[in-house]
Amino acid sequence: MKPPASAPAPAAPAHSGPGAGTPHSLVLALVGSGGDGVALLGDLVLGMAARQGLYGMMVQSYGPQIRGGESAAIVRLADSEVLYEGDQVDLLLCFRLRDLKRFQGALHLHSGSVVVMDREEGGDPPEWLGRTVEPPFRFPFARFEDGIEVEGPPKNMLGLGLLCRVLGWPQTLAEDALRRRFGHRRERLQANLESLATGLAVEKFPARPAPLGKGTGLFAETGNEAIARGAIAAGLKFFAGYPITPSSEVMETLIEELPAAGGRVVQAEDEIAAMGMVLGASFGGVPSMTATSGPGLSLMTEMIGLSSMAELPAIIVDCQRAGPATGMPSRTEQSDLNHAVYGGHGDFPRAVLGVFDVVHGRDIMYRAMLLAERYQLPVLVLSDAYIAQRRQIRDAETTQRPAPQRERWTEASGPARFDLTAADGVNAFRVPGDPGGTYLAAGIEHNQEGFPTADTTTHHRMNQKRFRKLEGIASETRDWFRTLGKDGAPRGIVAWGSEYGLLREWTAAHPDYRVFLPEIIHPFPLEAFETWRRGLESMAVVEMNFQGQFHRYLSSLTDLRGVRRVTRSGGTPMTAAELDRYLTEATA
Amino acid sequence: MKAKDFRSTLEPVWCTGCGDFGVLKGLTLALADLEIAPERLAVISGIGCSSRLPGYTRSYAFNSIHGRALPIASGLKFARPEITTIVVGGDGDGFSIGLGHIPHAIRRNVDLTYAVLDNGIYGLTKGQASPTSSEEFKRDRGLAGVEERPLNPLLLVLSSGCGFVARTHAGNLPHVREMFRAAIEYPGFSFLHVLAGCVTYQGPSYAETIYQRCDMLPADHDPTDLSNAMEIVRQERFALGVIYRRPPEKGAGIGERDLAAAAGVWPAVGTPEAAREMPGE
Repeated sequence: MKPPASAPAPAAPAHSGPGAGTPHSLVLALVGSGGDGVALLGDLVLGMAARQGLYGMMVQSYGPQIRGGESAAIVRLADSEVLYEGDQVDLLLCFRLRDLKRFQGALHLHSGSVVVMDREEGGDPPEWLGRTVEPPFRFPFARFEDGIEVEGPPKNMLGLGLLCRVLGWPQTLAEDALRRRFGHRRERLQANLESLATGLAVEKFPARPAPLGKGTGLFAETGNEAIARGAIAAGLKFFAGYPITPSSEVMETLIEELPAAGGRVVQAEDEIAAMGMVLGASFGGVPSMTATSGPGLSLMTEMIGLSSMAELPAIIVDCQRAGPATGMPSRTEQSDLNHAVYGGHGDFPRAVLGVFDVVHGRDIMYRAMLLAERYQLPVLVLSDAYIAQRRQIRDAETTQRPAPQRERWTEASGPARFDLTAADGVNAFRVPGDPGGTYLAAGIEHNQEGFPTADTTTHHRMNQKRFRKLEGIASETRDWFRTLGKDGAPRGIVAWGSEYGLLREWTAAHPDYRVFLPEIIHPFPLEAFETWRRGLESMAVVEMNFQGQFHRYLSSLTDLRGVRRVTRSGGTPMTAAELDRYLTEATA
Repeated sequence: MKAKDFRSTLEPVWCTGCGDFGVLKGLTLALADLEIAPERLAVISGIGCSSRLPGYTRSYAFNSIHGRALPIASGLKFARPEITTIVVGGDGDGFSIGLGHIPHAIRRNVDLTYAVLDNGIYGLTKGQASPTSSEEFKRDRGLAGVEERPLNPLLLVLSSGCGFVARTHAGNLPHVREMFRAAIEYPGFSFLHVLAGCVTYQGPSYAETIYQRCDMLPADHDPTDLSNAMEIVRQERFALGVIYRRPPEKGAGIGERDLAAAAGVWPAVGTPEAAREMPGE
């Protein structure tokens, strides 16, 4: 199937299946206390991998404390693109054994895994990690005086040196990485280079060579960076937001990069104000967006209805986290689907898109901008913590072009801002500054001129006009979906969002499965889905939330009798082993 | 230009004798005085009786949702700084549900005029107490919140660092016109407190009663004296006129410490010395 005419040229065909087989990969888990710098270590390792043309991704996990809590970085290095962190750890580097406790259930070793731990600490890794054939390799990371740990050389730099030997990476690669990172701070660079050398000088060490890279440098970015950059490329000119985990880096990236593209960023006093500013800027004719997470989305909801009612284009990115209320802010979940599709009082049209992975983050923003601007309504983009804060190595940036902007009003467009007969329910947009175009935008029900009305018939006709937009969108987005696996495979999985990463590897290893993932969740590409499901012997809906929100949503659109529910609450991403078990146990 | 050039074809739904008529008239007169082209004008409101006002103006008007006019107007002004932006609304819209936005719009010094038409009552929802209703009034009418003291909006905006603070009375048309003109002309966030009567829920004599409590500022009033301004707004009687007008800022921010102090920009807890190395670096 060819990609839709309106989409940017993607790096790979829109419906590409998995690469050839499962990638050759190595999973590193780096565990320490906050302040040990495991995140920086993971970041450096990932950057060095990208430099060699090696693929990979990194996810972080941190304790409830801001600093001083346990922290882990999981880095998977691979010879082809990976969108999933893998089930088992091949190499565990742990600066302090007691820090492992928090990651019980999230880290699993296999018999061939290597454990690197502190020499002075003594003790053995906990049983729940799994048994390894080789005993732990002990290295003097910490410095002690009278049995008390004192400040010594940075552990993460010692670890970096050691890892270079274990992975078989040249010293110059690490030195270059440190120079790029600390070149502007000479003393710091010198100290780090010395510790690196200490780590590199280790004599006997367990060798676990990394897969070979393809030599040409690749590019690493996070989901939040990709969303921000995709939006800029699509034509974003105004952003307002409020800090919230796990979406804040969208705003932070835009603060750095949007002004250069002629745009403006405001950190608002709360999410209500952020969404208000977005609508104000959009009322001014300027492509605008915000980014938030569940609690912020709840606060924005009244204003999302206003966006639809006053017909003001707006993009709302929701980086989902485990909810409700505060929930587990740093943990992933796919539980805002109901809110995105149904949230808000009254009847109003909106579009809901789902992000598959970091690379898709850029592409999805083009599509979001296209729909928001062309149809003058709110477009929600559902990302999640697993994509948002993952740093992923990808092929060089794909070319992106700006999305078409809203049709601008002229005298010839006619007298009514909200003409009931408009094709697809969309009228030319009146931009402040245009002479003769003055009108009243309102959250109050209004007639064609925009003036307030409480007339029942007008209200119904306005609803009809506004909802006609969904018909236009459904027609335009009929092939906004991806499939995985072979057409004739007898077992089907339907899923959305970040489940894509796991399912891509799953189908590569399980040729009896095929997968359907909508890129646009609402309106749903139903025709394509019905075509895809033909001939299936069994089907399961795979998602990560307690209620099975996607299953329920789908069953409101089509017959799902006999289709099984594979769902659990969020937290850690689903593993292949879990999926295997759930697919066996799941009931309809 | 004439005032009627700034009126739409829509007829107001306000009660006969409502103070909001005077505000609409005074605003359109001021706009005509300033010769602002209607297409370069945005009038934005939330929800309430007075928030209907944008629909009666010929402008890019936006009658949005309750309490959120300031963020919407701020977004417009950030995106389109060349558009003259005026926010209107009532005391419930601005000082109750929307109060949290006021200090932040002031901190950002968004170049817009915010006029609050304060009648001390919720008119649209038929007579509930507002944050500016007096304790006596609430007791007399059996309204909620008898124990809650009324808010002093002018003290609030002055303490937030507002650069232009004025008050007028809807019944004095020439003064309303003059105050709107001065507020719109001020480069930066300007706050205009308009005392208005609600003939239905405050009674027909309320506007006059309030007016009897008003005094014009003396001719020798120094509007650059912040301490004096804060004294004036704490008085029992309502001073009418430009109570405070900070000399407009040049450039992006306030550089000089003395000027900052005079402007009501308070000592901040964040200092450059506090910006230390990032963790993990």
